[in-house]
Amino acid sequence: MRADAAAPLSHAEQRALEHWQARRRWARAGLVYALMLAFAIVFVGPLLFATLSSLKTDPLEYPPTLAIPQLQLRNWTAAAQLGQAGAGDRWFGGFAPGAVVPFEISYFVPDGVALSEPEVVVPRRRPGAGLGAVLAIEFAADYATVSELELRADVPVTIETPAEDLRGRQVTYAFTIAYEGEGPVIDRLPLDVTADLGMRYVESTLTASRLERRGRTASFNDVAPGLLGYVLRNYVRTFNEVRSPATRESLFLAWIGNSFTFAFVRIVVTLVIASMAGYALARLRFRGRSLIFMLVLFSQMVPLQVLFISNYLVLRDGIVTIDGFTLSSLWGYPGGMLNSLTGLVFVTALNAGAVFIMKQFFESIPREVEEAAMIDGASHWRRYWNVVLPMARPALGALTILTFQGAWNDFFWPFIVLTSPERIKTLPIGLLSFRNTYGAVGDWGLILAGAVLSAIPVIILFVVFQRYFLEGVSFGGGKE
Amino acid sequence: MGTKRADAVAAYLFLLPFLALLTIFFLYASARAVYFSFTDYDLFRPPNWVGLRNYVDLFNDALFLSALRNSILFAIIVTAVQTFLALVMAAVLNQRVRGIGFFRAAFYMPSITSSVVITLIFLWMFQRRGLINYLGETVQRSVPIVLAFAAIVVALQVAQVAWERRRRLPAAWTDPALLVVSLLVAGGATWLLVTTGVLSAREVPPVDFIWLQTRDTIPSGAPFWLAVPIPLAAIMIQNVFTTIPTFMLMYLAALQDVPKSLYEAAAIDGANATAQFFRITIPSVAPVTFLVLTLSMIGTLQMFDQVAIFGDAAPLRSVVTLAYFVYNRMFPGAQTPEVGFAAAGAMFLAVLTLVVVLLQRRLVRSEGY
Repeated sequence: MRADAAAPLSHAEQRALEHWQARRRWARAGLVYALMLAFAIVFVGPLLFATLSSLKTDPLEYPPTLAIPQLQLRNWTAAAQLGQAGAGDRWFGGFAPGAVVPFEISYFVPDGVALSEPEVVVPRRRPGAGLGAVLAIEFAADYATVSELELRADVPVTIETPAEDLRGRQVTYAFTIAYEGEGPVIDRLPLDVTADLGMRYVESTLTASRLERRGRTASFNDVAPGLLGYVLRNYVRTFNEVRSPATRESLFLAWIGNSFTFAFVRIVVTLVIASMAGYALARLRFRGRSLIFMLVLFSQMVPLQVLFISNYLVLRDGIVTIDGFTLSSLWGYPGGMLNSLTGLVFVTALNAGAVFIMKQFFESIPREVEEAAMIDGASHWRRYWNVVLPMARPALGALTILTFQGAWNDFFWPFIVLTSPERIKTLPIGLLSFRNTYGAVGDWGLILAGAVLSAIPVIILFVVFQRYFLEGVSFGGGKE
Repeated sequence: MGTKRADAVAAYLFLLPFLALLTIFFLYASARAVYFSFTDYDLFRPPNWVGLRNYVDLFNDALFLSALRNSILFAIIVTAVQTFLALVMAAVLNQRVRGIGFFRAAFYMPSITSSVVITLIFLWMFQRRGLINYLGETVQRSVPIVLAFAAIVVALQVAQVAWERRRRLPAAWTDPALLVVSLLVAGGATWLLVTTGVLSAREVPPVDFIWLQTRDTIPSGAPFWLAVPIPLAAIMIQNVFTTIPTFMLMYLAALQDVPKSLYEAAAIDGANATAQFFRITIPSVAPVTFLVLTLSMIGTLQMFDQVAIFGDAAPLRSVVTLAYFVYNRMFPGAQTPEVGFAAAGAMFLAVLTLVVVLLQRRLVRSEGY
C-alpha cells in the first residue's frame, strides 16, 4: 500500500485523502466515546442497579429485572390514594380509626374452572426480622374489618400464548377494609387474598408484593402505604424498624448522627494538628526535622494491624497503669475509652498523610510572600495564624473534604472501638450489623437501602468538589 | 544564635500535638507490638517472655498458613490483573476528547464509596440467585447471538477494507470509520435475525454457582499454595472492579504526556498497534507502573475490610488474610485471646509490606526513574 505514496497525488486526490483521514478521526472519537460510555456503565452499574433494586420488595428476585412495580406511575397514584384513605396521609399512609380503604383485585378464570370468591384476610404479620422483631407492635389485624366482596366486572378475554390461545374471563372483585371503633394509628395494613386453584392473579389496585402458595395467594405488605411509604418502603423501614429494644430510638438515625459527629470532630482535629505540624516542618529549621519527616513517611507504611494491638490497649487501660490508676481516668473515662466516640477520635487523630499534604503546600508558598506581608519581629504564631493559614485555604479545603470522606467511610477503627451498644456505632459498622441480622434471612431490601443512604453524603460531596478528590489522588500517590 | 534557638522552641511547640500522637500511637505502639510478639500476653494476665515461640508456632498454625497463602495470592493476582487492565483500558481511551470530566466522575464512583457499601452490594450480587450468576447465564444463553454478530462484523470489515484498498486508499484492518459502519450494520442485522426468529438464544440450565458458602477452590483440587478459594476470588473480582478506575485515570494522565510523534514515527516504521503498545506505551508509562504496582501491593497485602464484612457469609479459612488473622487472634470470640501470637502475625505482615516497598524502591532506582 505504501508504495502508492511514491506516485505524486493530484490536487483532487490530495483533498479526497484529507477528507478520508478526517472521517477516520471522527470515527475514532466516536468509538472512544462509546467505549467510555460502556466503561462508565460497567463501573456505575452495580451501584445503580443496587439503588434501583433497593426499591424492590425482594431484591433477590430471580431473574433480576428492572420492571419494578415501585417505579410504575399507576402504583404511585394508587399508593397515594390508599394512604389518604387509610390515615389521611398521602405520603406515608397508615391505618387510622375511621378509615375505609377501598381495594380491587382481578383474576383470570380459564374456561372450565369454576368461579369462586377469593378469601381476603388481614394477617398478623411482623415487619421483617432482626432488631425490629422484638419490639411490641400493634397489628392492623386486630382492628380491621373486611367487607363483603362485590363482583365489579366479569368480561370474556382471550390470553394469547405461544402454545395456544387461552379462553376464559377476567373477574374483578371490590371490597373495603374498615377501621371501626377507637384504637391506635397503625403504620401498616398487610393483606392476603387467596383464590381457588386455577384462578390466576392479574392485577389489583396496588401490585401484589409477592405471590405465594403457587400463585394462589396475592400478598401485600401494605395496602395503605402512601406514595413514599410505597416507593421508598425499604428506606422508611431502615429508619422505623431498626430501633433499640430498650429505648425505641431509631438506631439508623443515631448512626447517622454519630458518623457526622465523628467526621466533624476529626476534620477539626486534623486541620489544626496537620497545619501546625506542616508549618513547622516546611518553614522552620531545627534539629531533628529530617528525623521527624522520616517518621511521617515511615509511619504511613506500617500496617494498621501492627499498631492496633497497643492502641486498643491504650484506649482500654490508658497509656500506663500505676496501681490501677491510669491516665485515662483523668479524662473521666474510668472504664476506658472503648465504645466511645472520644476514644475513636483519639485513636484516629494521628494522620501523617495530612501532615505531609500541609507541608508540601506550605513549601509551595514562596517565602517572600510571607515575609513581605509581615512586619519584622512578628512571632511564628502570628505568621502562621495571620499570614500563612489564610493563604492555605485551598489546601485546608481539600484536606477537609478528604478527611470527611475518610472519616465517613472509615471501617477498621470504628469496627474495633465501637462494639456495643448498638446506638454508639457509626454508619458503616451499623450497616454491618444490618447485614448480620437481615442478610441471614435474605431481607436484602433493608441492607441495600441502608447502603445507598450511607453512600449519598460522599457522592454529593464528590459531585460538588470533584477537583479536590482528584487532587487527593495525586497527593496520596506521591507527588513529583 | 538566639533566633535559631527560638526557632527550635517554636517548631517543637507547633509539632507538640502531632509528636505526642506519634509517640503514643506509633512509636510506643510499634515497640509494644514487637515486645508482645515475644510474649504469651492474653489481654488479661501479665505477659511472660516466651522468646521466638510465637514465630515458630505461626508456621504450624493452619489458620496462619491459610492467611499467608490467601494474602500472597490475593496481592499478586489482583495487582497483576488490575494493573494490566487499567493500562489496556487507558491505552484504548487515550484520546483527547471533550467531556471527559463526566466520564471521570462516573469511573471514580466505586472508589469513593465506603468499603462497606461496595462489599454489601457485591455480597448481594454474589448470592446464589444474584446478579453475577444471572449475568453468567445470560452470557451463556446469548453465545449464538454474539458469535453471529462478531462474524457479521468481521465479514463486513474485511469486505470494506478490501474495497477501500482497491480504491488505493491506505485502510488498515482496524480502520475506525469502516469499523463504525461494520458495527452499526452488524447490530442492525443481528437484531433483524433475532426478531424474525432465524437466530435465537440458547437454552441453558440456570447458573447456580456458589460463590460464598463453599470451601472449593480454583482450580479445584490444586496444591495448597496455588489454590484460590472461591470466596476469595469473589473478593478479588470486587477489588479489581473498585480499583481499576483509579489506576486507569493515573495511566491516562501519564499517557496524555507521551508525544504523539512517537506513535507516528513508529507507524511509519511499520509497527502495528500491538507493537506500539509494547514498544512505546509500556516503556513510557513505566514510572506510573511502578507507582501503581507499589500502591496496589500495599493495599492488597493489607486487605481487611472485605473479610470482616463477609463475616459468616463465607468460611473463615477461605477468606482469611494476614490482617484479618491478627484481628482474629486478638478477638477470637469465645476462645482466649492470643495477643502474642497476633503480634507475631502483625510483625510478619509489616516485614512483608516493607520488603515490597523497599524492593520496588530499589527497582525504581536501578531503572533510573
